Amino acid sequence: MLALLRPDSFNFPLFLHVLGAMTVTGATAAAFVCAVSEPRWPWLRMVLARTLIFATFPAWILMRLGGAWEDSRSPIGDDAGWLGVGYIVADAGFVLLIVAMILAAVGVRRPQRNWPIRTVAVITGLYFAALIVAMFAMTGKPGS
Amino acid sequence: MDRYQWLLVFHMTGAFLLLGGAVFAGIFNVAAMRRERPSEIAVLYRLVRIAVASVSAGMLLTIVFGLWLVADLDYVKWSNTWVILALIGWVLANALGSAGGRREKETRVLAERLASEGDAPSTELRARMRDPLTLALSWGSGVVVIAILALMIWKPGH
Repeated sequence: MLALLRPDSFNFPLFLHVLGAMTVTGATAAAFVCAVSEPRWPWLRMVLARTLIFATFPAWILMRLGGAWEDSRSPIGDDAGWLGVGYIVADAGFVLLIVAMILAAVGVRRPQRNWPIRTVAVITGLYFAALIVAMFAMTGKPGS
Repeated sequence: MDRYQWLLVFHMTGAFLLLGGAVFAGIFNVAAMRRERPSEIAVLYRLVRIAVASVSAGMLLTIVFGLWLVADLDYVKWSNTWVILALIGWVLANALGSAGGRREKETRVLAERLASEGDAPSTELRARMRDPLTLALSWGSGVVVIAILALMIWKPGH
C-alpha cells in the first residue's frame, strides 16, 4: 500500500535503488558460481575478478546511492527495523566487496595460491544470503 | 505481516529472480564473447543454464503473485494503464527471452561439438556468439523487464 501512496518525486531514486539491488544480487550470484567452479576451470578466476569489479561493485554503488537518495526524501521507514537491516547489509557489502575484489585480483596474479579464491567464494556466498534477507526485510517490511 | 505484505514479498522475490537471473546470464554471455576456446565457451554457456532456471521461476512468481495482488487490492484495477502495459511487457519479455534462449542453446551445442573435435578457435562459433538477432532478442528481453520495473514504480495512469 505504501508503494501506491508514494509521491512521484520518490520514484526515480527508488527505481535506481531497486534496479541496483536486483543487479547486485545477480552479479553476486555470478561471482559466487565463478568462485566455486574455479577449482575445475581455473581460467574462471579472471571472469570472477571482472564480474566483481565491473558488475557487482558498480551495482552496489547504484543500490546504495539510490537507497540513500530515496531515504533522504521519504519519511517512510525512519527508525524502522526493516530499514536498519537494509543499511546493515548495504554497508557491510562495501567492506565485503572491497575485500573480495582485492582477493580476486590476488588470485589472478598468483595462480598457485588457492586460498584467495576460496575466501571469495565464502564472502560472495554470505553476501548473497545477506542480500536475500535484506530483500525480504525491505519488501515485506515486517513490524511496520 | 499481513496478506498484502506476503504477496508483495513473493512478487518481489520473483522480480529478483527474473532480473537477477538476467544479469547473471548477461555476465556469462559477455564473458563467453571474450573467450576463444570452444571448451571454455561451452562451460560459460552451461553456467548460463542456472540463470535460465532463475528467470523461469521469476517469470512464474511475478505473474502469479502480480495477478493475485491486482485481484486482491481494491485500489488497483485491471483497466489501469500500468497493469495492462506490464502484462503486455511480461508476454513480450517471455517471447523475446525464449527465442533468444533457443538460439543461444544452438550456440552452446556448437561449442560443445567443437570442443570435442579438437577445441580449436572457430570463426563460425565467434559469429554465432555475436549474431545481432540473438543479441537483440536476449538483451531486448532484459530491457523490457527493466521497463516493467519502471512501470511498477511510476504506475502511469493510476
